[in-house]
Amino acid sequence: MTGEIGRPDVVAMLATYGERRPEQVPEEIDSLELAWLIHQVEQRYGLLDVDDDSLARMSTVTGAVEVLTEVLR
Amino acid sequence: MTGSPPQLEPGWVDEVLLAGAADDVCLQLGVPVSRADLRRLVAGRGQVLAEAGLRRGGTVALCLAPSLAFIANLLAAWRIGAQASLLDYRLTPYEVDAALRRLLPQVVVTAEQQNAGGPLRGYAEITERVRTCPGGQPAATSHAVIQLSSGSTGPSKVIARHAASLVDEVTRYTQIDGVPRQGERIVSLASMVHVLGLVGGLLYSLHAGVTLMIPDRMTADGILAAVAAGTQPTTLLGVPFHIELLASVTSPPGLPMLTGMTTGGELVRADVHAAFRDRYNVRLGNMYGMTEVGVIATDLFGEYRPAVMPAPGFTIREQDGELHIALPASPYLGVQDPERWSDGWLHTKDAGCVDPATGLVRVLGRRDSQVSVGGLKVDLTEVEHMLAGLPEVASAVVVHDHAIEAYLVLADGACQSAVEREITTRLAAYKRPRRLHVVDQLPRTATGKLVRDHAALKGEHRS
Repeated sequence: MTGEIGRPDVVAMLATYGERRPEQVPEEIDSLELAWLIHQVEQRYGLLDVDDDSLARMSTVTGAVEVLTEVLR
Repeated sequence: MTGSPPQLEPGWVDEVLLAGAADDVCLQLGVPVSRADLRRLVAGRGQVLAEAGLRRGGTVALCLAPSLAFIANLLAAWRIGAQASLLDYRLTPYEVDAALRRLLPQVVVTAEQQNAGGPLRGYAEITERVRTCPGGQPAATSHAVIQLSSGSTGPSKVIARHAASLVDEVTRYTQIDGVPRQGERIVSLASMVHVLGLVGGLLYSLHAGVTLMIPDRMTADGILAAVAAGTQPTTLLGVPFHIELLASVTSPPGLPMLTGMTTGGELVRADVHAAFRDRYNVRLGNMYGMTEVGVIATDLFGEYRPAVMPAPGFTIREQDGELHIALPASPYLGVQDPERWSDGWLHTKDAGCVDPATGLVRVLGRRDSQVSVGGLKVDLTEVEHMLAGLPEVASAVVVHDHAIEAYLVLADGACQSAVEREITTRLAAYKRPRRLHVVDQLPRTATGKLVRDHAALKGEHRS
């Protein structure tokens, strides 16, 4: 499973939860948004192998982009 | 529901919850837990709590994430005949200290390590730390469980329920068509430290002989894997977010054991409801309830949507556009607020109407400042009072539009980062504003009152 993912992709996927506009997506990611994001990424790239520590790093959009970039490399 | 609830002997835990065949698997949090296992575990925790000084009529505060430890300690405390206060494990140490100063429990149970397991774990594996508090007070009332609602700065926000009220609710569930029966399974996505997951999930399952399973991971994949892991007829129990999450799965696996999903809280959008029904072809139901009384009305087959039918034994009326529920005694401790309970009626603060012909109830949203964040109730005034009380803040308004946002005027010389640090210290993550807007001034009415209209605030922010 490989792919490239950037900040606009992450924000766009988060925005699909609750019918938000990208500019309404805050930097911090709560646990429900994280579940949503993981599912959106898995639908696009296949199942992710992300451990609990990495999930904990995904509490911000910046952290999520970092982790997903590593995982999808 | 007339008259005061009868006082139950502590034996209600064994009779109503723990009775049943020894080898019956009643819980599955990772490993299956039989009734014999659970009885042993509860007896063991009872011994530890008793050694810490907990007695009948005593008080204990539990600050534990959803876990086998939470279940065992809660049942053990009730089995002793003690009053248990449930503190949300997501509270900051600052908030926990404030709650403990207010509640003065004799014993406090926390985890050696909080947040164990990562943000998407369905349950934690916890080693408890049991602490005896020298200044702790025995229970002032005969209630079995105490919960603090958000906005607990006010006197009437400590919610208390008797054991009889919990047993009433469990019994009520048995009378509602569409609720899982003995031999079936609930996969619960609702936190067991709040009323839906606690009574509708945990206590009902134990009473009815339904296996309660918590997914290892609360991702779409993890939830569907948990459903697929059993053969018994299975009901999903969650909040509206979970419908939206599962409805977004484009090709779910075949799940012949899945018979339905029930959620508490606000209705999901019609397109999400339809997408879920299309994906899974099962019953999708909704429940209306409150921490104060538990489940109030249901529509478990989606046949009354957007209305709900009062649960057996409940009388609901509409009073000046607000839903009131017949309740003989106030569920609040401390100084009473007649705006919340008066003359045998609980004022829900929910706008709504009751159809006189059918009895069906429509819930039309909150009339106060309470919002729901992923199923967790947050009172915006609590957040606003906290912000306005900071020395770094001159004035503040907190609103909700998809997420909690705060508009602030900083005090002279103060900086935003200092405010952010205080917020992190003083507020649990789910209560924190997701955005801080620092403005030169806040819009006010002609009489000088702060305006809480989001459009006006945004206009001020842009100007």
